[in-house]
Amino acid sequence: MSFLEVRDLCLNVGGFELSRIELKAEKGDYLALIGPTGSGKSLLLETIIGFYRLEKGRIILEEKDITDLPPNMRQISIVYQDHMLFPHMDVFENIAYALRKKLRDKKQIEAEVRQIAGVLGIGELLYRKPATLSGGEKQRAALARSLVVRPKLLLLDEPFSALDARTREKLREMLKKAISEYSTTVLHVTHDFEDVWTLANRVVVIRRGEVMQTGDPESVFKRPSPDFVAEFLGTNVLKGKVKALEGKLTVIEAEGLEIYSSDPAEPGEDIAVSIRPEEIILARETVESSARNILRGNVTGVFKKEHLVVVEVKMGNAEIKAVITPTSCEMLGLEPGRETYAVFKASNARIIR
Amino acid sequence: MRFLKSLEILKIPEILKTLNILRAPDSLKAKGMKYSWFRNLTIGFAFFFTLLLFLSIGALLFVLKPSEILSALLSEEMFYSMKLSMLTSSASTLSVMCCSIPTAYALSRYSFPGKGLIKTVLGLPMAFPELVMGLALLLLFGHGFLGPYFEALGIKITFTRLGIAVAQFFVAFPFAVRVIYSTFEDINPRYEQVSRSFGYGEFETFRYVTLPMARSGLFASGVITFARCIGAFGAVLILAGGSYMHTEVLPVTLYLNISYGNLEMAITSGILLMGIAFLAIFSFERFEGGRL
Repeated sequence: MSFLEVRDLCLNVGGFELSRIELKAEKGDYLALIGPTGSGKSLLLETIIGFYRLEKGRIILEEKDITDLPPNMRQISIVYQDHMLFPHMDVFENIAYALRKKLRDKKQIEAEVRQIAGVLGIGELLYRKPATLSGGEKQRAALARSLVVRPKLLLLDEPFSALDARTREKLREMLKKAISEYSTTVLHVTHDFEDVWTLANRVVVIRRGEVMQTGDPESVFKRPSPDFVAEFLGTNVLKGKVKALEGKLTVIEAEGLEIYSSDPAEPGEDIAVSIRPEEIILARETVESSARNILRGNVTGVFKKEHLVVVEVKMGNAEIKAVITPTSCEMLGLEPGRETYAVFKASNARIIR
Repeated sequence: MRFLKSLEILKIPEILKTLNILRAPDSLKAKGMKYSWFRNLTIGFAFFFTLLLFLSIGALLFVLKPSEILSALLSEEMFYSMKLSMLTSSASTLSVMCCSIPTAYALSRYSFPGKGLIKTVLGLPMAFPELVMGLALLLLFGHGFLGPYFEALGIKITFTRLGIAVAQFFVAFPFAVRVIYSTFEDINPRYEQVSRSFGYGEFETFRYVTLPMARSGLFASGVITFARCIGAFGAVLILAGGSYMHTEVLPVTLYLNISYGNLEMAITSGILLMGIAFLAIFSFERFEGGRL
């Protein structure tokens, strides 16, 4: 039996519907739940934590059926996108509040609070009210509050989506460290594929209240079974190795292609590169451009997607997606078999580890 | 802001906005807009009625000499009525708060059969006249229905001071529920869910998270409730009788003295009631401004 098992879960709340959700996680797993807006991911989290009564199905945590337990008996914590720090308590009180049901001794509580504050770098902020903190600081405080009780299961509901890219990256690293120190199992709802790539070891794709696909991140990204996974994630991921450094640029050898990135890396490092389809320009011949990457390939597919066109180009060993307007598609005369050049800036080739 | 929203229900901001119209022309001028006759007419109306309102308040304040007000204030009747008003309103405010907080919480957080009905019934007294409410209460607590049972317990409600508090309770309760309901609605239930996830039960969560977060709204509704209790007249008059120096609260003093032609006493109790209303609004503003 797995550590967490969601069996045949059915629920209908105010128009949102979950039908026959099956989910499994082993102890220490980091599961990323992805899917379009309104697909019921957040509802699933709130069901697992116990805020909704199930119509059908069971939830089993650590060999115990928790389906009918109230939320205060489940030992599951949650962090929301909008942190939900209690505004009338300072950061210390917020974290200590979480502990008071577990520990009686004041000194012990304080020691625990200080420990998690150290891990998440909020030691300086303990006596500030949430209203005076920045978005990233609030989210770290919220993470600290949820982790300090060492929950059996930590649920993250898009915890980073309101933050800017740099803060997100920093927080991801801190979270990773904190998770390993507090060794919990995590379910993380996200829209950001970098969350998936850097944090998760398994991915669950949900669409319209149903589980569509489960697997490790690589297989889900590389071989998305239903098309929409790729569409939804909307990014190209190429795995490779850093070949050399050229001034401020990093040269990467990935799937038979040479790609320049402005992100720093060490030579010989195993990395992956992500390029968003809308940041790729297609051209019929090599063009003079400030963009550092100009790659040649052959069109393998052209698909309409809403008011745009997705073009699949085979280059090296990789298949890259680019999104362009129907007009440019017509102008370029793109059709399967046609030769084309993909042009993108070094700053748009982002290194992910 | 939560608190301002609570006020909206009671239409107080509209009164404040009317006063703000004094400032409006400047902002329009800055945009270089030309004044139309229609605009001027509407603003004219606004000023005219604001002026009337000010004049009427002024009349209340300036008709009497200070010495007359003072002697009316120090009269035995005024003293009695003030004391009784304070006492009954404090008691009824306290019980209104005790009952409306759980009622509003239930309406805001839980779904249960009959919820719509309760909401409708609670909305009724806002629309129908206080006098009718008084009559209805008189019938309920009189000889017909519940009266004999209460009397068997030694409790007499009709034509007693207890009746005053009961009438005030029923007048103010629906308002308090409205204000507190909107306060609870403004608190994201996820705060409570987070607290639950840390092992706290429903009541503990209410006690440590919801109540402290609602405090400014609760304070606002407490003040509004007190103001409504002390100003309640129709229902009080009918249920408690409004007899001289027995069930005489401030609005009753005003009414009794007007009918005897005793203007000093009537106006003085009017000034007192108005003073309390102003204090109520003022303490809202102060409390809201000084928060956090």
